[in-house]
Amino acid sequence: MADEPAASRHNARMALRDPEPAQAGRGPAVRTDVYVCHECDAVHRRPRLARDDVARCRRCGAVLARGPGLTLDGHLALALASAVVFAIASASPIVTLELQGVESVASLWDATRLTWEAGEQLVATLAFCTAFLFPLAVILLRLWVLVPLVAGRRTSPVAWPLRALSFAMRWSMIEVFMLGILIAVVRSAGVTDVVLGAGLFGYAALTVLLTGLQAAGLQAMWQRVDVRAGAEGAP
Amino acid sequence: MTAATDAATLGLRGCEVCALVIESPADGAQGGGDLRCPRCGHVLHLRKPESLERTAAYLLTAVVLYIPANLLPVMSTSSVLGRDSHTLAGGIHDLWVSGARELALIVFIASIAVPLLKIAALVLLAWTSHRRSTWRQAERAALYRLVETVGHWSMLDVFVVVLLVGMVHFGVLAGVEPEAGLLAFGAVVVATMLASASFDPRLIWPAQESADERR
Repeated sequence: MADEPAASRHNARMALRDPEPAQAGRGPAVRTDVYVCHECDAVHRRPRLARDDVARCRRCGAVLARGPGLTLDGHLALALASAVVFAIASASPIVTLELQGVESVASLWDATRLTWEAGEQLVATLAFCTAFLFPLAVILLRLWVLVPLVAGRRTSPVAWPLRALSFAMRWSMIEVFMLGILIAVVRSAGVTDVVLGAGLFGYAALTVLLTGLQAAGLQAMWQRVDVRAGAEGAP
Repeated sequence: MTAATDAATLGLRGCEVCALVIESPADGAQGGGDLRCPRCGHVLHLRKPESLERTAAYLLTAVVLYIPANLLPVMSTSSVLGRDSHTLAGGIHDLWVSGARELALIVFIASIAVPLLKIAALVLLAWTSHRRSTWRQAERAALYRLVETVGHWSMLDVFVVVLLVGMVHFGVLAGVEPEAGLLAFGAVVVATMLASASFDPRLIWPAQESADERR
């Protein structure tokens, strides 16, 4: 099968050879010996990847696959940690401002509610979805897929949560929100006294955790999905 | 440049969602319906349908909205001294004069440079792909990946204003309100993200598909 080990750690480039001739069968036959580059359609023979190896497309440079990185246990641990930190970040005040004895406690809830009430409902919805709803979906969908897998249940995971996960990851913007908090703090510090709250540190930790999850990718989970799963579950 | 073999030439399809590789049934046999990925159910197009048309439509939306996004105020501040409107550029100016020059630079890059460069890059990619150009294909592929990576950072200023609205509300003493420019700017960011999601990077490599039916 994969008889061509990656040439080097990091950015191993792969040589292309003609794939083996296919056998005819009913339904589409699955090929596990090749990669098709998702960015340029070039076909590559699948090499054996060691830990930390990155296989890149010879033609366009897109990342085709990464060596075995995080285990499923590791995925689950990161997802659980994210869930806890997310709960803390969402429930705690981000900052407390004080102006002449009047205190103002700010959280994402207040910020989106006040934006909504000020007449910018679309902007409030956009901020709420990208800073709360999609990150929440990323965490919950991962747990949904990972818990039965790690618990060793027989049933293979269904495909739709993973497809939804790909979408939610694209629109989850916790790291941008985190930087936004810092800039908002600096801009209001000139006017009022600012006390940093637990929510701010929660979002900082969440940025690190979700970036780790993003980098770990979804392939470890896709590989556990039965190759006939899409035939029934197709929307 | 390495001579690469296209999946289409070998009768293979790769799934964009789950990366499964399958052999597509003999031409003609699939004429009736869409070929779906057996694992995840995603429709396996050789190229995303109407990719360039969609990309162009979202880009046009982004360009049109870019004007009010920059000319209209994105927020207004009120205090006992009166009321002030701030545009995107004004917010960057405020940060700069307050001494937070690094943050001013970050906001400038995220709010002004990234959306402009993103629109320019996608126009270039869509136009060269429309022409089926073979000019600097590897560099164009890298440019597309860059656009995909940095795109969502433009949302920064939307978050900043929404947070300021939530943070600064002290009645008559001080307050921050969102203004119409913010909606236009948010729409620019979403439109450019949709434009880059609609663009199919496989269109950068047109030469090898000549013998096959398209799509």
